[in-house]
Parts: sequence; C-alpha cells; structure tokens
Amino acid sequence: MQGLIDLVDKYFSLPVIKEVLPYLLKGALFTIIFSAASEIIGIIIGLLTSIVRVTRIKVLNHLAIVYVDLFRGTPLLMQIIFIYYALPYVGINLPAPLAGIAALSINSGAYVTEIFRAGIESIDKGQMEAARSLGMSYIKAMRYVIIPQTIKRVLPPLTNEFVALIKDSSLLSVIAISELLRTAKEMMTWKLNPSSLTAAAILYLIITLPLTRYVSYMESKLKRSGV
Amino acid sequence: MIKIVNLHKKFGTLGVLKGVNIEVNKGEVMVIIGPSGSGKSTLLRCINLLEKPTSGQIFFDGEDITAKKVNKNLVRQRLGMVFQSFNLFPHMTALGNVTIAPLQVLKMKKDEAKKRGVELLVKVGLKDKIDVYPNQLSGGQKQRVAIARALAMNPEAMLFDEVTSALDPELVKEVLDVMKDLAKSGMTMLVVTHEMGFAREVGSHLIFMDEGQILEEGRAADIFDNPQHPRAKAFLDAVL
Repeated sequence: MQGLIDLVDKYFSLPVIKEVLPYLLKGALFTIIFSAASEIIGIIIGLLTSIVRVTRIKVLNHLAIVYVDLFRGTPLLMQIIFIYYALPYVGINLPAPLAGIAALSINSGAYVTEIFRAGIESIDKGQMEAARSLGMSYIKAMRYVIIPQTIKRVLPPLTNEFVALIKDSSLLSVIAISELLRTAKEMMTWKLNPSSLTAAAILYLIITLPLTRYVSYMESKLKRSGV
Repeated sequence: MIKIVNLHKKFGTLGVLKGVNIEVNKGEVMVIIGPSGSGKSTLLRCINLLEKPTSGQIFFDGEDITAKKVNKNLVRQRLGMVFQSFNLFPHMTALGNVTIAPLQVLKMKKDEAKKRGVELLVKVGLKDKIDVYPNQLSGGQKQRVAIARALAMNPEAMLFDEVTSALDPELVKEVLDVMKDLAKSGMTMLVVTHEMGFAREVGSHLIFMDEGQILEEGRAADIFDNPQHPRAKAFLDAVL
C-alpha cells in the first residue's frame, strides 16, 4: 500500500503537474513545430526521391538508393549528432534548431521515399499507359494521373510516419532543443519529481492519438471505396 | 494512312510478331482476329508506341513513327486507343476523364473542353453520367467513357484492343453500337476483337493472325464465307 502511495506521489502528483504544465505546453508546441516542419520538408524530399527511384534515372537512382539505405539503416540519434557536431568541421555550422530540422527532415525523407515508391508502384500500369496513349508526357501523366491516386493511398502510411517522427523528435533533446521531452526532464530535476514525465507522455498521446485514429478511419474508407 | 512494314517484336527470345505487313487506308475499319497469343494486341500496342518494335517500320501519314527522333507524345495525340481493361482515371468524374487530355495536352480552354466533353459523353449515350465517378459505372459505361476520352483528342485513327472482352455479355452491344456509329462517321479504325458478328458487319477489311504472322487478309465477308488458310478455317469453325 505504501508503495502505491509513493508511486502516485512521485509519478502522478497533480500539484507538480499543475505547476509544470505551462512549461510543458511550450515544449509540446516546439515538438509540434519541429515535427511538422520536418515532415513537410521530408515529404518534398521523399516525393522527389521516389520519382527518381521509379523512373530509374541511372546515376540518380543509385544515389537515391544509397541515401535511403544510409538514413533508414542508422540510428536517428547518430544522424542528429553528426549533423550538429560533425558538420561544423567541414564548415557547415548549423544552429541547433536548423540542425534538428535538417536531421529529422532528411531522416523522414528516406522513409517517405519508400512510402511513395510503394504507392506509385501499386498503381495499375494501365493508368500510365492510358495517360500516355492520350499524348501526355511522362511528367504530365505523373502529375495528373499517377500522383493524385498515389496521395490517397499513401496518406495512412504517411500519417503513421508522421506519428513516428513526432516521437523521434524527442531525440532533439541531445542537441539542447527544448522540445517536450527535454522540458519534462528539466522540470523533473527542478521539482525533484518525475510527474512531469507522466504529463509529457499524456501530451504526446494527445498529439498522436487523433493522427492514429485518422489513419484507421482512412484505411477503412479506402478499403470500402476500393481505390 | 497507317502502313506497317515487316514488323518484328520479340520479348526476350520469344518472337511475338514475325514480319507483319499491313496497310490501312483512311476511313477503313480494319478488324484483326485470331487466337489468344497470336500477337494482335502487341501489334496495336506497337502502333501506339506503347511497345518498341524490335525491327520494321510503322508509317503514319507517311511519317516513320518508329524513327528515333519522333515525338511519341505528338504521335499518340493523333492516335486514340481504347483498352480491354478501360483504364479510366478513378479519381476523376466521367467528364474529368474526357477533358483532362484536351486541357493539359492541347491546352484547350476550360469552357471549350467541357462543352466538347459533354458533347462526346452525350454521343456515347452517357448524358446522365457526366459527373459520376468510374466506380459507379458499369463496365459498358466505363468503356464508353474510355472511347469518349480517346475521341476528345480528335484523333485521326482509333485503336481498339479487345474492348469488349472484359464485359458482361449483356453490356457488349452498347459498346459495339458506339463503335459502329464511329465507323459510319468515317473514322479510321483498327479493331482487335473476338466479336465475329461485329467483325463481319463493320469490318471493311479483315486480318487473321496466328503466331505473330498474318495468315489471311481480305474483305471481311470473303474470309468469313470462304477462308483459304487451314488455320483460319479451323479458327472460324471453332468460334462461329
């Protein structure tokens, strides 16, 4: 019984949570800003790279494969550290927020590449043929016929990727960015009480739950429409 | 209008077309029949440059369209193609399907493209389906939209690749009727089909293909009534 009381006192202390909440909300806002900015840039990188992948433009295709393998196959934490601490030695001196967004964008771009590539390749090849038979160039066929259909199909996996990115953005704490997790850890040492971590976990859930619900909804909708 | 000279097409080591020669004149309806795997579809796909011939030449209005410097997009704009599997764009309405190429390829004005798209959909009997998405159309309706979509580019000739093969039997006629009207209006057509009734009635010229070669060629009625080649005879006996 005493154990339970201690647990509540340490991890679920309402007075502490009440006190630290304003700081945590600010941290959450940073988490959202960093994740959203990185996701947008990641989508742009991923879409372009996936088109390079499906068109199989020789040299570029190999570069794209190396890029995807490299950034999906190594820990994000390592990538963040390299971009922030190692790049200055070759004259690229990014301030922490920029280095953070760069690392997250490039990392998510690698995942988004594979999502888009799978999406594009899942479109029946008759669609491209029909578009080309109407006299559309490859680029126009992509732009008006293939990509719009791909977007619908990749929205669920893309949103899942965004959820992962939101959680991964907590790794930015290692380069002193005051996102949600780092703020919570600071509050924990300040208050000598880890309830701020619990509050942060709930805030993460509040951000990610609507997204994961949305994915389920989209998936069932896609299944029904058969697109 | 379309002249094919000694066309060969190989997929790997498999020869699908083995020296095909065809000449289609303006306003003619050339019907191509033959067993599955005889190379009929590959022939049409070569004409539309969806497949690259291994050797041989295809002339369209006197221009060798198999030449390297040819702009494939320009050739395809002048050659409409309708597929067995419709290939309608599922994210666009019937009208959207019909207007997308005129808008984006021909840079036609929006009102004009829309007006023409509606006209074509009315022509193929789909007046009340203009704003409907493909997944709410029957197979026959889809195929009629696909024909309207190809016609929207004002092609000089139309290629039909087994366009009724994926349809339920009761939906075949509505598509063939549209094609008949098109033939009557003087459109140059190349039709790969298993619809022998249609071939006989509408075809001005008929080709029997087997194993990548043309075995018999002539007026449709002549071939149906009096096939010369034993394989053509056997095929017609089996399907009629």
